[in-house]
Amino acid sequence: MLTLHVLYDADCDLCCRVRAWLEAQPKYVDLAFTAAGSAEARGRFPLLDHQATLKEFTVVSSGGLVYRGAKAWLMCLWALREYRGWSLRLGSAELMPIARRVIAWASGNRFRFNRYSAWVGRG
Amino acid sequence: MNHIVITYLLYLAISAGLTAWVAQTLFKNGRVFLVDVFHGDEGLADSVNHLLVVGFYLINLGYISLMLKLGYDVATARESIEALSWKVGLVLLVLGAMHFFNLYLFSRIRRRATLSDVPPPVGPDACTVVREG
Repeated sequence: MLTLHVLYDADCDLCCRVRAWLEAQPKYVDLAFTAAGSAEARGRFPLLDHQATLKEFTVVSSGGLVYRGAKAWLMCLWALREYRGWSLRLGSAELMPIARRVIAWASGNRFRFNRYSAWVGRG
Repeated sequence: MNHIVITYLLYLAISAGLTAWVAQTLFKNGRVFLVDVFHGDEGLADSVNHLLVVGFYLINLGYISLMLKLGYDVATARESIEALSWKVGLVLLVLGAMHFFNLYLFSRIRRRATLSDVPPPVGPDACTVVREG
């Protein structure tokens, strides 16, 4: 069975709420959550650049394939029953550049969103 | 028999006939869809198809029955035909709406089924070692 290991920033309020939201969704593929840069993450992925995972959202499949940034988000959407169609639409050649820019902007500003993060799920 | 009773009987006959015709169309053509959705499992497809058609009959016949009463008297053949065309028109619109709703259900079921086998939209950036445990 394929599992996607999600390395999220445990110090970021918004990221934790997004994690709670992802956990609550019905899935095609299991998602396992690990705090980025933690001892657990270093133990599980000994060859990964853990400094980079703190800067950029990262997903690693159980087969060892690494997805970063916008691709990592699309993989999370692809794992969800309700949003797989969206992951395919956003991953198309036309929309991928826009998705990449929006996600880069959002993750660069993620700490500024803390006060709005109550809108995203309940963590 | 006076005009109103004839109008009611005609209304029931026409509406029930139309319902049966639409249900048969749905039953025959929906089956192909469902067999594809359930990966060739014809038993399951027939069963779901039958359940959908039963629901379709219940809702439509229920609507036809509730809408029977005219609320005014019909004295001439002309009034009878006018009342009939109004009632049958309503039934046709409801049948049409129900039919499209069923098509929507079929396409939704089918999309769900095909999505479960779709590969990821993006390729990986790199490879790494994963230790289990």
